[in-house]
Formats: sequence, structure tokens, C-alpha cells
Amino acid sequence: MENKKMTLALFSGSLDKLTAAGIILSGAAADDMQIDVFVLLQGARAFKKEFAKDKNELQLAENAHLREEFLQSLKKLNVNEWYEFFQQAKEITNVKIHICGLAGKIWGAEKLEDFIDLADDIVGIGEYITAAEEADVHLFI
Amino acid sequence: MLVEELQNIKSDKTVDARGTACPGPLLAAKKAIGEIKSGEVMEILSSDEGTKKDIPKWAMKKGHEYLGTIEESGYFIIYMKKN
Repeated sequence: MENKKMTLALFSGSLDKLTAAGIILSGAAADDMQIDVFVLLQGARAFKKEFAKDKNELQLAENAHLREEFLQSLKKLNVNEWYEFFQQAKEITNVKIHICGLAGKIWGAEKLEDFIDLADDIVGIGEYITAAEEADVHLFI
Repeated sequence: MLVEELQNIKSDKTVDARGTACPGPLLAAKKAIGEIKSGEVMEILSSDEGTKKDIPKWAMKKGHEYLGTIEESGYFIIYMKKN
């Protein structure tokens, strides 16, 4: 059985959407899918070394006023941090995380070293379109 | 399989994923399946409602055999056989 491919365009850099993306990646990893994540505009900021693990830097995309409740629930339910989901998925299956070059520049990050270790390379939009064309599952978050 | 039959199964591996939320049990099952041999039986304990459908579906998709689920108080046990 050939492994299916998933492409995820991760535009959002918000804590709730990053968590959702991480859980979706986990499901795809359990299915041994080959996954390409393209980190776009707001996402690239969240992937910067100084922001990724700093909850004060990451907002909620929706219900911003319920932030504390959201964070407490995640903790109570023993839910991973968003980047832990990404890390775990990488350990299970073939996950490549590509950072959009322009997005990086917008947030003052030009080099791969400016991002957390999860990032594999810095790419242009052409790579994303090609991967999306070939994917069995294609998501935009 | 009938509940009585499931109860008599001697599992080769037990995965206790109670206390983890989705996708914890699924990933725990995924990890553990790599640690048993073909033909061996694994049981997964979970208290996460979504897992009840997730793991059987995943097992079948991956070509393993889903044997059944037993309800316990506050959790359930899913049995599967590795292909």
C-alpha cells in the first residue's frame, strides 16, 4: 500500500489553530502519510525561535477573551503543546516543514537557524503549489 | 467477537492510554503496533470517546484485524490483531 500524501498550508500563527494543525498532523502520521507543511505569513512568526514556545506571544484566532479557559483546559486534558505535536509527527512519519521565504523576511527571519529546529528548509511559493498538486489531502489552516 | 470471547483473549501487549486525550490513544496504538509480531493481539485502554471509532477504523485501514471493544466503567478496551 503506497503512502498517501498530505499538504498543509499553515497560514495561522495562533495558538488554537496551531494546536488543531498539530492534532491533524498526528492523525495523518498515524496513517503513515507523507506530509508537507508550508508555513505561510502568520505561521512563520510562530515558528521563530524566540516566539514558538512563548505563549504570551501567540494569540487565539477565535474567542480571544476565553484564552485562560482554553489554556487551562488543554493542561487539564493533558494535551501537548502545539510544537510537541509537530515534533511527534516527525518522529512517526515523513514530515517536512517548509518556511515561506517572504513570510520569514516579513518577521525579520532570513535564515533557517532563525526558526525552531522543526523547520526543514526555506522555500518559495512554487514548491507549495507543486506539492498541493500532488497531494491526496490538501488543507489550509 | 462476543464480549465473553474478548474477555478470554490473552493479549500480547496492553497499551494503557487512559488519561490522554485525542490523538494520544491513536498515537500510542500506532507506536505499540510496531512492537508486536504479526498475529499477536494488542489491547488499548482508553477513556477518550473519539478513540472508540478512531482506532478500529485506523486498524482496518492499515490491514489489521479489529476484534471488538469491551466497555468498562469510565473507559473501554479495544482489541486488535496485527496483520
